[in-house]
Amino acid sequence: MIELEAIEKTYDGVAVRTAVLKGVSFRVARGEYVAIMGTSGTGKSTLMNILGCLDRPTAGRYRLDDTDVADLDDDQLSRVRNSKIGFVFQQFHLLDQTSALQNVLLPLIYAEKYPEDARQRAQSALTDMGLADRMTYRPGELSGGQQQRVAIARALITDPALILADEPTGNLDSESGAEVMAIFGRLHRRGRTIVLVTHDRSVAEHSHRIIVLKDGTIAEDSPVAEPRVAEVAPDETRGQEATR
Amino acid sequence: MRSLRNAREGARALASSKLRTFFMMAGIIAGISGLTVVMAAGRGTEKRVMKRVNAFGTRAIMITAGGGKGFAPPQEGVTTLRPEDAEAIRTQIRGVDVVAPFALGRNMSIKAGSTQVQAMVMAVRPEWHDAWDWHTTDGEPIAADDTATLARVCVLGEMIARDLFGNQSCVGEFVQIGSTRFKVKGVLEHRGPSPQGDEFDSRLVVPLTTGLRRLFNQDHITNIRLKVGDPRQIESIADEVRLLLHARHHITPPREDDFAIFSAADIARMARGISGTLTYLLMALAVLSLLVGGIVLMNILLISVGERKKEIGLRRALGATHGDIFQQFLMESLSVTGLGMIIGSLLGWAISIALDRSGLWPVVVTWEPFGLALVFCLAVGLFFGIQPARQAARLSPVEALR
Repeated sequence: MIELEAIEKTYDGVAVRTAVLKGVSFRVARGEYVAIMGTSGTGKSTLMNILGCLDRPTAGRYRLDDTDVADLDDDQLSRVRNSKIGFVFQQFHLLDQTSALQNVLLPLIYAEKYPEDARQRAQSALTDMGLADRMTYRPGELSGGQQQRVAIARALITDPALILADEPTGNLDSESGAEVMAIFGRLHRRGRTIVLVTHDRSVAEHSHRIIVLKDGTIAEDSPVAEPRVAEVAPDETRGQEATR
Repeated sequence: MRSLRNAREGARALASSKLRTFFMMAGIIAGISGLTVVMAAGRGTEKRVMKRVNAFGTRAIMITAGGGKGFAPPQEGVTTLRPEDAEAIRTQIRGVDVVAPFALGRNMSIKAGSTQVQAMVMAVRPEWHDAWDWHTTDGEPIAADDTATLARVCVLGEMIARDLFGNQSCVGEFVQIGSTRFKVKGVLEHRGPSPQGDEFDSRLVVPLTTGLRRLFNQDHITNIRLKVGDPRQIESIADEVRLLLHARHHITPPREDDFAIFSAADIARMARGISGTLTYLLMALAVLSLLVGGIVLMNILLISVGERKKEIGLRRALGATHGDIFQQFLMESLSVTGLGMIIGSLLGWAISIALDRSGLWPVVVTWEPFGLALVFCLAVGLFFGIQPARQAARLSPVEALR
């Protein structure tokens, strides 16, 4: 599913070359739920940008879903991002002036072919996130937790091979955070491949495997013996489908 | 189809910040509406000029006794213009179809029974009817016999006939001009207002000889009207006539002329006045405001690219290519100028109509300003949109999302 081989990333400064990633290799199998951990400055964000095809490694090989992406040009990377990766960001990154439904539809605008049932797909994705009665709301009219759920619905709309979440609970209170982690748990049980980037061990422990970065290399790669299960208030996770 | 989706994203962005969109459009609206009004007013002026020229006669040259620059009535007391001058023009200058000398008498009192009016009397030769293309609707025109025999006959303008005799036929009736009785021979056809603004139809004509001898008691004339065969030769013929009259009146140029010559071309020049120059000036101003509008548009777009870095980064992360972002921003620019064009054209059209209705300026609205507006707006939208669109497309998603 994901194969990283000796990934290196160096930045050319004015006087110095800074090596941020110094040969990172790991594999993630289909359906795995992995957390990448590390304190700030360890190359965590850089690795996440490379995993998300937002940036190219200086050296090394990266295969995503049987495509070699390390050598793709910018347009090809855009296509890979659109079709294979679903992003969930710490700051949600929703368009302010646009309804929840339109936000979820956004990736399809850049899809190879705009699906005819786009609207129904977006509606069912939002319903699945328990937001059936919030589709016409703008982000500003939603709570943080609700906004992040809109973002997750948006990540799922293209049916991507990989869900890449960058500190998805970083901007949420603990209750909303738990809610979001419960959703990731559910997506994992449905067979989604999830890579979670976080600095918070208690968040990382929801996953089934933790990779720890230190100084641009992998310091630790171990399975989680007993993954946490997010505790959720019953009316929060049930979602609209269940209530009906 | 993907371009269409990008265009829709652009339109959505415009719709979501209406004030910014309005500011981007303001200059375009001002420029386009200005251009529309100026062009319509230019057309209107040209129409007014043509109307004046047609009223004067497109093939006409008028020689007036007395000097002066403006197209004015003959000066009182100038006696140097004589019937022999007309004869000389007829025999010596080629390309002139009709030569019609005449003498004017203003504010003559005309009486019929107990009704009296003040009117302008023109003492004319038979050619006068041809020179003015002005014929009788009722009765007979002035004939060669009439001038030869000093007949006391007259032909009335339509308005005078109505003033004196009401709606009944007046041919064969008598009117008193000054102290002399004249028989009404005919009535002239309707002609409307003259280029000077008075009514052609409140004039009457008598035979030249009769007029000079019995009414004005003079042997000079006040005007000679010429009709040339080819309107393109009108200015060169006017020059020849001027030289001929210089010779006949013994005038050498430092001395002022004792006559004035006006051709249809002079009338057009005078009617146009400075409006032609003014039109070009105002058009330049409108184009300038379009350019300034374009620069404002570009700057606001550039600022908005900076403000919308996150949005651009997000779109890129979700799969938008360089080209998608470029298209979206270019479409935003083009939509702004396009919408500005529609609003500007409608506004300009409305102002033009209002200007025409108010009587301040004659206006003719044609399709041309709208066509020009379309071309200008596309050009401005493209030219000033490309730079911001490029800037937006150049943003790297990593950078923009930070």
